[in-house]
Amino acid sequence: MPSWQDFQPFIVTGLALGGVFSLSGVGMVVLYRATGVLNLAFGAVGAMGAFIAWSLINDQGWPQGIAYLACVLFGGVVTLAYGMAFGPPLAGRDPLVKAVATLGLALILLGAMSWIWSDKARSMVLPTTEHGFNVGEVLVNYTQVIGLALGIAVTVFTAAFLRFSKLGTAMRALADDREITAALGVPVRRVEAAAWLGSGLLSGAAGLLFSNLVGLDAATLTFLVISSVAAALIARLRSLFVTLAAGMFIGLVNALATPILSISQYRDMAPFVIATIALLFLSRHGTLSTAKGAR
Amino acid sequence: MITITDLTVRFGGVTPLDGVTVTFESGTCGLIGPNGAGKTTFFNVLSGFVTPASGSIEAFGEDLLAKTHFRRARWGLRRTFQTEQAIEELTVANNVGMVLDHAHDSGGGSRNEEIVRAMDFVGLDVAPEAKVQTLGARQRRLVEVARAIVGQPKVVLLDEPAAGLPDEETAHLGRVIQSIPQHTGALVILVDHDMSLVSACCETTSVLDFGRLIASGPTAHVLRDPDVMRAYLGTEEVDVGDEQGEVVR
Amino acid sequence: MGAVDTQTTPVTPAGRRIARGLQRPEQVHLAIVVALILFVLVALPQILSVYWVTVCTAVAYISVVALGLNLLMGRVGLVSLGQIAVLAMGAWIASKLSFSTSLPFPLVLLATGLLTMVLGTLVGLPALRLSGLYLALITLMLAGAITVALRTMQFPNGGPGFLGNDPDSSEAVRRPSIAISDPAFFRYTVVVCVIMFALALWHVRGKAGHAWAAIRQSEPAALAAGVNITVYKLWAFALASFMTGVAGGLLAADVGRLYAISFPTSNSIVLLAVVLMGGIYSLWGAIVAGVFYSLLPALLNDWGLPADLLTILFGVGVIQVLLTAPGGLAQQFPRDMRRLGGRIASLFKRPAGGTST
Repeated sequence: MPSWQDFQPFIVTGLALGGVFSLSGVGMVVLYRATGVLNLAFGAVGAMGAFIAWSLINDQGWPQGIAYLACVLFGGVVTLAYGMAFGPPLAGRDPLVKAVATLGLALILLGAMSWIWSDKARSMVLPTTEHGFNVGEVLVNYTQVIGLALGIAVTVFTAAFLRFSKLGTAMRALADDREITAALGVPVRRVEAAAWLGSGLLSGAAGLLFSNLVGLDAATLTFLVISSVAAALIARLRSLFVTLAAGMFIGLVNALATPILSISQYRDMAPFVIATIALLFLSRHGTLSTAKGAR
Repeated sequence: MITITDLTVRFGGVTPLDGVTVTFESGTCGLIGPNGAGKTTFFNVLSGFVTPASGSIEAFGEDLLAKTHFRRARWGLRRTFQTEQAIEELTVANNVGMVLDHAHDSGGGSRNEEIVRAMDFVGLDVAPEAKVQTLGARQRRLVEVARAIVGQPKVVLLDEPAAGLPDEETAHLGRVIQSIPQHTGALVILVDHDMSLVSACCETTSVLDFGRLIASGPTAHVLRDPDVMRAYLGTEEVDVGDEQGEVVR
Repeated sequence: MGAVDTQTTPVTPAGRRIARGLQRPEQVHLAIVVALILFVLVALPQILSVYWVTVCTAVAYISVVALGLNLLMGRVGLVSLGQIAVLAMGAWIASKLSFSTSLPFPLVLLATGLLTMVLGTLVGLPALRLSGLYLALITLMLAGAITVALRTMQFPNGGPGFLGNDPDSSEAVRRPSIAISDPAFFRYTVVVCVIMFALALWHVRGKAGHAWAAIRQSEPAALAAGVNITVYKLWAFALASFMTGVAGGLLAADVGRLYAISFPTSNSIVLLAVVLMGGIYSLWGAIVAGVFYSLLPALLNDWGLPADLLTILFGVGVIQVLLTAPGGLAQQFPRDMRRLGGRIASLFKRPAGGTST
């Protein structure tokens, strides 16, 4: 068993990773609550944004800041476009159908990424990664700080937004009942558009941070973020703060397994396994199962 | 005979059934009440789709609540649904015969004889091989009723079987419902808003209002009960839509 | 099993009877299928080069994987997003059995199917309490986990220990002794696949299929008919896992040397896409799916086009199917053909009779 010393750097990694898991989870929960769509293309959108940023910097010689902005905007625009095009026709369908349709988007993006950027391995290093400070003996870089801080900030901000702003209240109402909300004069399409855009921007940001923290690889980023669905699921797709905590937990377990040699190779299973166990545990209590006929 | 004692159901803050104690003796019994009175919830409890907060149900000497939903069906508790639920992609014969397959209830004769007998009994004049999706609303209803009475049912719950049917069809269905007890020996409980159907079919009728039993007894007597009339007149104009605990599928 | 055949002749009060045996259209159908199978078995390996024969072998066993998903989605209404991981599991088990035992190949296949079935059922058992979306997500999570595990374990290739992987070994998984050559193995695969399709058809036509139809349309109605829905859902999972496991065994013997990298999680999504596009309400859809999954990439490769185009196309296909054509190609194509036939017929009729509208 490695000593406490060995674990310290991985706590930092884990918290940073956890922050981005939470960020993604929150992005997905907000969209799910407002539109009933679990966007399984969340990670693919972010990954493609990160690839575009990489190309803008390395091939086109754009300034880094603008390239990163482009990544975040790409996330927002693609997600919004998908939501506007396919949200309404699928609105009345089962949540499962809506989620499967987003897999279509994920495939389109995966295919495009593999086509355009498959020639060689790339890595994304944000400038903030090169600067850091020491906490005790552990070097902490600013990307890690951003990951954690953004995760917390987005959670707090989103929670406040949903609670106190007019648009946020409309989103919460939509989550309860679409028809009644529409009948009350809430512009449903506009509110949904806002949710798609907001969630999309978060996917861009998450893609950028993950590409730095984990690596710039289309498939990894796509499916890693799906495991932050796990965080969202543990929150039963409702509570944002539980999503935050679950995201942190997944990030920490993933990172802390690294120094333990016997399981370190399997550590990437952590998000999936935690999500599975959490889902099964929740199902024991009947909260997720179909109410037996009656509701 | 079914004896229900102190049956209470709670969904969150709502109490769709509140301490209902009632006995259904034999033959065809009516169960009526305004929208939202708890009739469908009552059926869902009997079928095992809803677990009551308290109370007991004894049917023909068996503790019904001790059985899970599908075992109740195999035991002989059959039902139809408010929104008709015949399985579209199966044939009429397979719809009607499904209970026999799963209940291992061979009835009196062979499986196919039982199916045809049930179809004839309800007056279903279509080929057994016809797919249900090709049938009209009336025939689908009859498929569902045939599925509920095939083999050896002990209790048959009919949830607004005549909803949406024209008058002459309702009259036919009424004759069918009336003769189920004699034909199969089962106890029938009929929920319907059509009072003429209920009075025609049921010797006894029970009335629910806001989850409570407000009257029970011979149908003619119950329908003249001032409490019952008040319950109906008080709410008839205010149609609250779907009932609590309705199976919406 | 099922509605049409019981031992006694039904004597009915109204003189009606429930027909027995195959109806005329079904006989025609059966004849066409038999002719098709004979053509594939006898003529295809003669016509095609060895390369295309191996491609067709893949089409055959992938259509069995697709069949499993087709049954789950089309018949029962369950979505699994991890079938390629199950396929990988099957291939792993088959490799293990091939190197560690001297069982004859058919028994390897059978044992692989059964072991995969047990594992798939173990996964399915707790997950069945979950509703559709959550169940689908669990399968995706588990697929992710299996992919990670396989990447570390790699496939048995005659190495030492339980995992049996030796990076330096290049031993291939055994093929059946009667089917060593590629054309022979193709025929062998087709026969096994036909058996799998027959197994599926037998289930769909029988008591299980009727129960699944009831569950898919309305769980309350199924329960009210005495169907134990948990058992039948689990049964569907078990059947799909069994078939996918057998397909994994065929794949292992076909490819010989297996690498975890050939089973990325994204392929489970691609499989879902092609199964949806093929059509989930007809077993033919599974064959269409197999063609999409295995033949199209080879064709594109042959034409010098990037296979990634297909991934994009499949993505578009998923959305299109969900929006407009839930029946997929297996239903759409015959309908279009009939419509086209009708048009052509009316063209010929018009000058003569002038009655067509």
